[in-house]
Amino acid sequence: MDTSNLANEPFHRGAEAELLLSKIDTWRVVIKRRASKKYRRESLDQKIRRERTYAEASLLHEAKVAGVSVPSIMGIEQQTDSIVMTHVEGNVVRDCLDTMNRRNAMRLFESLGSEVGLLHAAGIVHGDLTTSNVVVTPSGQPFIVDFGLSRRSVEAEDRGVDLHLLQRSIAASHLRDTSPLIKAMTRGYGRTAGEKVLRSSLAKAREIARRGRYFAIR
Amino acid sequence: MICLGVESTAHTFGASMVDDDGRVITNVNSTYRPPAGVGIHPRKASEHHAAVSDSIIGKAIRSSEGGQLDPDAIAYSAGPGLGPCLRIGATVSRALASYLGKPLVPVHHGVAHLDIAMSLGHVRDPLAILVSGGHTAILVHVDRRWRVYGETQDITIGNVLDMFAREARLPAPGGASVEKAAKEGHELLNLPYTVKGNDVAYSGLLTAATNLMKQGANLEDVCYSLQEIAFSMLSEAVERSLVQTRRNEVLLAGGVAANSRLKEMIGSIAEDHDASFYPVPIEYSGDCGAQIACSGSLAFRHGVMVAEQDSHVTPRWRMDEVDVPWIPRT
Repeated sequence: MDTSNLANEPFHRGAEAELLLSKIDTWRVVIKRRASKKYRRESLDQKIRRERTYAEASLLHEAKVAGVSVPSIMGIEQQTDSIVMTHVEGNVVRDCLDTMNRRNAMRLFESLGSEVGLLHAAGIVHGDLTTSNVVVTPSGQPFIVDFGLSRRSVEAEDRGVDLHLLQRSIAASHLRDTSPLIKAMTRGYGRTAGEKVLRSSLAKAREIARRGRYFAIR
Repeated sequence: MICLGVESTAHTFGASMVDDDGRVITNVNSTYRPPAGVGIHPRKASEHHAAVSDSIIGKAIRSSEGGQLDPDAIAYSAGPGLGPCLRIGATVSRALASYLGKPLVPVHHGVAHLDIAMSLGHVRDPLAILVSGGHTAILVHVDRRWRVYGETQDITIGNVLDMFAREARLPAPGGASVEKAAKEGHELLNLPYTVKGNDVAYSGLLTAATNLMKQGANLEDVCYSLQEIAFSMLSEAVERSLVQTRRNEVLLAGGVAANSRLKEMIGSIAEDHDASFYPVPIEYSGDCGAQIACSGSLAFRHGVMVAEQDSHVTPRWRMDEVDVPWIPRT
């Protein structure tokens, strides 16, 4: 794929990559371009960027095939370590959670739990599953985005990290009582991942919370 | 106000006098060195501490004119650390406080690493990176406490360097030996790179590097690769944390902050994000009495004291369990 002719505007700059908003025909697309890092040796830097670009694209594709709501891959540009994918219209959950009413929030997290359950049942873990990486569309459907740290894994440990991070980022919102949201999320998760996976993932999430601590800052 | 600080968490017994401007008046330390290939034996280290405590403290309270400095408070490293070592420092400090009739101040060794680095660099409210044998953590101060934003999920970076050096029979301190050997290495070998969100995990890297070395790979190349991978992992987590927390100061403290390659990497990230970079000066990076005196002085001025009968040690004590009301610094 060649993105050099595409008009684009900066959309978001993360620690690892920059996102550009562009258009292909009538499609609104996002170009995710991994920046090179001065602090890493060039060979290591290139290797990490290349590996992650391919891994992210193929995992996004696999997640899509498994039925998870994620952006669709439109192409890869090798020279610039870029992924071109569909743009998901909506709001980042971190930014809209505090103003959402209870019922919508419950419904959102139950669906989000189902999405994560599907992902885990397909043998994929996200690796950075926070409310910053979930976009809710105007119709209320959560989309999981940014698969930059995702991996193939069937380890309860890795699923536990996902659940733990998500629980922590919900708990870090300004809502008064977030435990019903976490319960709703867990309910949705169990429905698609199955009872066995639910139990092992939750047990690991609790273990991880005891072992170390993630502290979410808004 | 002058504070005497007594450090005694692991291999180092130290004593230091620091005034209330954070100026280090004296700083005297003695480090127990195990034979090559062997780690710190807690009992042997504590015997070393007991043997040197008298002369170290004696030197620390002697003024440059030959007279004796009179401390207003006595701070001791109450944890985290090796139990037998901690108990020597606590016992000596307790005795001194009781004899001189001065208040006793318990200090968290990790918090103290950050305090001295902040005092020396005049840092206000940084993203703090603590790298040592006991800690590998990325921290920000929110609402009276240091919060762990990212950390190692298994062993610390100081552990990685020390244990690798031990396996390779390089002399202690392991970090300095690995750094020296790494300067002669050129080939970046294939080693596992594990970042999980803002966290890192090092045990797989240590095993893989040790195996490469035992299989006969060039030691300098293994040291070089070990450093590059371990530090790149941490740097990635640091960059993510910096973007998320939006701090404009980056502090690097702890024993591994002496490593020039790590300083170069973290400094480059700070520069990329328009943050000022404050690595702790090398003479105060490793464990020392001055960090305890510095932290103790701040704590004492914020009313932290402990009665003699309650002056316990805490071998396991997380950074985010300590109230640190003196940050942001003015």
